[in-house]
Amino acid sequence: MKKLIATLLTGVMTLSLLAGCGAPGAASTAPAAGAAEASEAGEPVAASEDAAGDVTIWYYWETAGHQEALDHIIQEFNGQQDKITVQAKYVPFADFKKQLSVGASAGELPDLVILDNPDHASYAAMGIFADITDRFDVSTYYPGPVNSCTLDGRLYGVPFGSNDLVLFYNEDMLADAGCDVPTTWDELLDVAKKTTKDNVYGFAHCALQNEEGTFNFLPWVWSTGQTSYEIDSEGGIKALEFEKSLVESGAFPKEAINWTQGDTMNQFISGNLAMMINGTWQIPTMREEVPDLKWNVAFIPKDKQDASGLGGENYAVIAGGNEEAAIAFLQYATSKDTCLYMMEHMGYISSDSTIAENQFDGDPVYQVFVDEMQYANARGPLPEWPDISDAISLAFNKVITGESAPADAAKEAQATIDSILGQ
Amino acid sequence: MKKVKTFFRYDNIGLLFILPAFIYMMVFVGYPILSNILLSLQDVSVRNLVKGEKHFIAFANYVGLFQDAVFLKSVKNTLVFTISCLIFQFLIGFLLALLFSKRFSFAKTVRGLTMIPWMMPMTVTALMFKFMFSTDVGIINYIFTKLGLIQSNIEWLTTPGTAMIAVIVANVWIGIPFNTILLSTGLTTIPQELYESASVDGANSFQKLTRITLPLLRPTIESVLVLGFIYTFKVYDLVYVMTEGGPVNSTHLLSTYSYKLSFDMFQYSKGSAVANVLFLILLLVGLLYLKITMEGEED
Repeated sequence: MKKLIATLLTGVMTLSLLAGCGAPGAASTAPAAGAAEASEAGEPVAASEDAAGDVTIWYYWETAGHQEALDHIIQEFNGQQDKITVQAKYVPFADFKKQLSVGASAGELPDLVILDNPDHASYAAMGIFADITDRFDVSTYYPGPVNSCTLDGRLYGVPFGSNDLVLFYNEDMLADAGCDVPTTWDELLDVAKKTTKDNVYGFAHCALQNEEGTFNFLPWVWSTGQTSYEIDSEGGIKALEFEKSLVESGAFPKEAINWTQGDTMNQFISGNLAMMINGTWQIPTMREEVPDLKWNVAFIPKDKQDASGLGGENYAVIAGGNEEAAIAFLQYATSKDTCLYMMEHMGYISSDSTIAENQFDGDPVYQVFVDEMQYANARGPLPEWPDISDAISLAFNKVITGESAPADAAKEAQATIDSILGQ
Repeated sequence: MKKVKTFFRYDNIGLLFILPAFIYMMVFVGYPILSNILLSLQDVSVRNLVKGEKHFIAFANYVGLFQDAVFLKSVKNTLVFTISCLIFQFLIGFLLALLFSKRFSFAKTVRGLTMIPWMMPMTVTALMFKFMFSTDVGIINYIFTKLGLIQSNIEWLTTPGTAMIAVIVANVWIGIPFNTILLSTGLTTIPQELYESASVDGANSFQKLTRITLPLLRPTIESVLVLGFIYTFKVYDLVYVMTEGGPVNSTHLLSTYSYKLSFDMFQYSKGSAVANVLFLILLLVGLLYLKITMEGEED
């Protein structure tokens, strides 16, 4: 039985990786006119007439703008009808997983949660999310995000919105150093060295020993053509070696192992970093905080192929909660105008291809993110993903701090990964 | 009826008085402990927390722990952390207590001010020290550089060895006031006459310290050390905020590792097994404390 489950999981995983790569191609080719019609088609499949009562949402966005945007659409929904009352509760990200686990065992959960997509499979496997396969239509959504809400072929959530990682660079600093925007690893290392001076580091990405760090590190591995589960491989070791050469060149601050993505962004906009890897959601904040800073974005420099990390949140309806009313709210929240409003304020790319297509008309910065989406890989989905992620983040932390040689760190990580997958 | 009366006649009436406290302890302390022990003997993970069978696997989690390098490391870290903190905060706290026992102006005010670290929320302290130990902008590297002690900045929180030093320093800073106050209180119980007559007999300050102060302060010192051990052994928030157990697990304590296993990695049973190891050690130290205080009361 266990073997069967393992085989199934591996199958789902592989499929999702393939799907993740191929997905967003559809976005750039589909005709713009089809957008409105398609979102019409996404109307409630099984919207119940008697959906009523209170719906509580848990979410973890700490940025004021994000909280206000969510609050705005909730107020609008509550004002439009008088059967359902939605309210949102903020749970800090650091506590979010704990609260869900504790709530799950105590049976005290909200009706709807908005959670980080790599964790989705774990909670779906735990059985706290309602199976909404025939109750919500996701046919117009990108396959990558949809996969992250799917377990064993059943749909346990709805993608909220997606984001991916790209290279941010300070135009003035690169110009001063006489450098072009790097497109390969060698160029990145070279430009990073040249832009490092005084209190400015050439390049950094969040390298925390947790999911956030893994998210930022994995594009190196994927760029070599290897998967998240093949760390002790030519490509995996090469990625670790590259990380090591960045640190040893002095252009990459070791302190990045204690930087969140937000910290990294702050270093960048304070002028302490010439280049960084970061995500879509930082754009609204950066534009507001430092309107005069000249920065731009480009694809993440590559080894063999383009690669980026797929991030984002999913909605999940809690099993046994007020499911009907929660789904009714989801129908509203994912409708075109509401979704666009949220995406704009959040700095996210809609997971609904019909909405995403025209989302960033004429905004070249966002366009880079949309273009990079087709190379963005999902993490998991796998209920044990947190363990895999922990092994990977330990490996690059060992390399960055100089505790282990890349080959040794890779071997150790692989042993952990194999023992998890082999269960 | 007669039986009931007899039962409550002498000492037994006391049992009735402790009943509310007993019930409270059983519900809010006893039950969680028992439930945690049970959890650690099962195989509860992400797949069967809510649904599915929870198999009883006896001590397999504990056996697994002792083959887990991170667990062994966190046991070692916890001991190093606790013992280093105890030594430094006791020594500094004791010296401060001796200082404040001198009757100089503002002695009481200044002693009160030293309590501030103890009252400050742990996370605030942790964030403050995280800033101070930062490699490029931290004040500690700045001072060391200005004093000419170091050539290049020390990477305090990003190098395994120094990260441990940094969290120990932060925790010592928090622990000093606790030691100072308890030891100061202990010092006031020593009659001044003893010192006066010792002076008459020609004892110097060092002899007064070793022959009068230390022996008479022994019960206080024992309590301070045992309580300090308990408080330090279960530190969680300080380390979680400063390093999150990193870099490369070098500052994981039993408390932070247990949290990580349970709530980051969904290995609930293994996480609770770590918590129980922590509990067992503290239970032993707690019993030792009870023994010391009981002996003290008999004296």
